Amino acid sequence: MIGIGNTLSGSRRVERRRSVQQVGVFAIIAAFPLAARGQETAAYFKQNCYSCHTIGGGRLVGPDLKDVTSRKDRDWIVRFILNPQAMIDRGDPYATRILGEARGVVMPPVAGLSRDRANQILDMIEAESAFEKSQFEGVKFSDRPFTAADVDRGHALFTGRAKFKNSGPPCMSCHTVRGLTLLGGGRLGVDLTKVSERIGGRKPLSAWLVSPATVTMQPVFAKHPLEAEEILPLVAYFEHSAKQAGDDDSVAPLTFFLVGLAGMVLMLGLFDVVWKNRFRGVRRPLVAGGEMRTSV
Amino acid sequence: MVSAQHYFDQLMFGVAPYLALITFFLGTIQRYRAQAFSYSSLSSQFLENKRHFWGMVPLHYGILVVLGGHVVAFMFPREVLAWNGHPIRLYILEISALVFGLLTLLGLVMALVRRLVYRKIRTVTSLADIVLYALLLVQVGSGVYVAVMCSWGSSWFAASATPYLWSIVTLDPDISYVLAMPFAVKLHIVNAFLVIGFFPFTRLVHVLVIPNPYLWRKPQVVRWNRGPGSGA
Repeated sequence: MIGIGNTLSGSRRVERRRSVQQVGVFAIIAAFPLAARGQETAAYFKQNCYSCHTIGGGRLVGPDLKDVTSRKDRDWIVRFILNPQAMIDRGDPYATRILGEARGVVMPPVAGLSRDRANQILDMIEAESAFEKSQFEGVKFSDRPFTAADVDRGHALFTGRAKFKNSGPPCMSCHTVRGLTLLGGGRLGVDLTKVSERIGGRKPLSAWLVSPATVTMQPVFAKHPLEAEEILPLVAYFEHSAKQAGDDDSVAPLTFFLVGLAGMVLMLGLFDVVWKNRFRGVRRPLVAGGEMRTSV
Repeated sequence: MVSAQHYFDQLMFGVAPYLALITFFLGTIQRYRAQAFSYSSLSSQFLENKRHFWGMVPLHYGILVVLGGHVVAFMFPREVLAWNGHPIRLYILEISALVFGLLTLLGLVMALVRRLVYRKIRTVTSLADIVLYALLLVQVGSGVYVAVMCSWGSSWFAASATPYLWSIVTLDPDISYVLAMPFAVKLHIVNAFLVIGFFPFTRLVHVLVIPNPYLWRKPQVVRWNRGPGSGA
C-alpha cells in the first residue's frame, strides 16, 4: 500500500509539476506578445518621439511627457498627436498654448502612427511615469563651453569635409546656413542658420540630433545615427551661425542657374566647333538645287 | 485608420515601379519578337539638318550624361558622397549636371518645335511620339527644376533615392525615403516610372539597338552623283 500510496502521490506530484510547467509555458507564451509589443513601443518612442520629448527629464522642443495623461484627457492627446496641425488650425486653445510653449515649432507628422499605436505609447508613458527614473529621462550631453575648434569641426561635419562615423550624409546635402560658401548649401531641407534659436537652445537641439524625427531625415539617420562627439561640434556650429547670421544667400539658386545657363551656351559653342565639318556646304546646296530643278 | 493618402503613396512608389518594370520587359521582348524591324527611331531628318542638329545633339549628349550620373549615384552612392565631401567638388559636379540637364531640355524643346512647325515631320509623328514628348518634357523639366530649387540632388539622391531604388530592386520596397519629398521630386520619380512603362511602345526602343560600332568605325562619306541627265 505504502508503495502504491507513494506511487500515487508521486504521480500526482509529477502531474502537478507538469500542470505548473504548462501554466508557466502558457504564461510565457501569453506574455510574450505583450512584452514584445512593449519593447516595440519603446523602440518606436525612441525613434520618433525622444528627439523632442523626455519622460521626467524636462522640456526639450516639446513638453516633458511625465504624467501627461493626468494633465489632459487621453482622447484629446490621441487626436492631437495624430494630427497636431489640424488641432492648431482649428484654434483649439490647449493646442495653441502648447504651440506657444514650443516657440511656434509644430510637432511634425509621425511616420506609421495610428490610433492603436498612439494608445500604446500613452500606456507606456503612464508606466514610465510611475518610475522614479524613466529610461526616457533624456540623453546626457557635455555642458562644457564650446570652443573655436568645436565650431570648426562642426563646419567640417556640416559641409562633409569631415565624415560622420556611421556614414550619414553631410548636412549640406539638404540644408544651408547663411554665409556658408559660394553657392550655399542644399535647399531640399530648411535653412538651418537659426535652428538653435528655433529649437530652443543647446539641450533640445542636441537631443533632436540623436534621432532626427522628420519624415525625410528619419529613414536616413535611423541607419546612420550621429555620435555624441559629432553632435556637440554640430550644435556649436549652429549656435555660432545663429550669432553670425551671415549674408542672405537666397539668390544662390539663381546664381547657380545662371552659371548652368552660361555653361550650356559654352557647350553649344563647343558642339558647333566639334561638328564644324557637318554637311552644311555639301548637302544643303544639293537639296536646294534639287528643289529648284523639281520646281522647274 | 489608414488614410487614402497612404494607399496613394503605396500605389505610386511601391506598386507603380513594378508595373513599369513588368511592362518594360514584357513589352520590349514581345515587340522584338513580333516587329523586330520597328526597333528604331523613325528618321525625321528629311534631308534637313540645320535645326535637327541643334535638337538632336544637345538632347542626346545631355541625356547620356544626366542618365549616366543617375546610374553612377545609384551604383556608387558612397563614392558620390565622398566626392561631394568638399563643397568645391560638389559645385563642380552640380554645375556640370545642370549644364547637361539644360542641354537636354533645350534639345528636347528644339526637337519638339521642329516637329510641330514642319508639316513633313508632323506627317510622320505618331500618337506614341506625342505621348513620349509630353512625358520627356515633364521628366526633364522637373529634373532641371529639382536641380535648381531642391539642391544638392547629387548628394541627397545618394542618401535617400538610392536606398529607395535598391529597396525596389531587392523586392522589399521602402517608400519612407521618398514620402516627404517635395512635389517636384515625387513627380520626377513617378514620371520616370511612366517613361519606363511606355518605353516599349515608343521610339525609345532605339536605345536598345544603338549601333555601337558607329563610335569607332571610320567615317563614311556618302556622295550624291547628280549630274545633268543622271535622272537623280
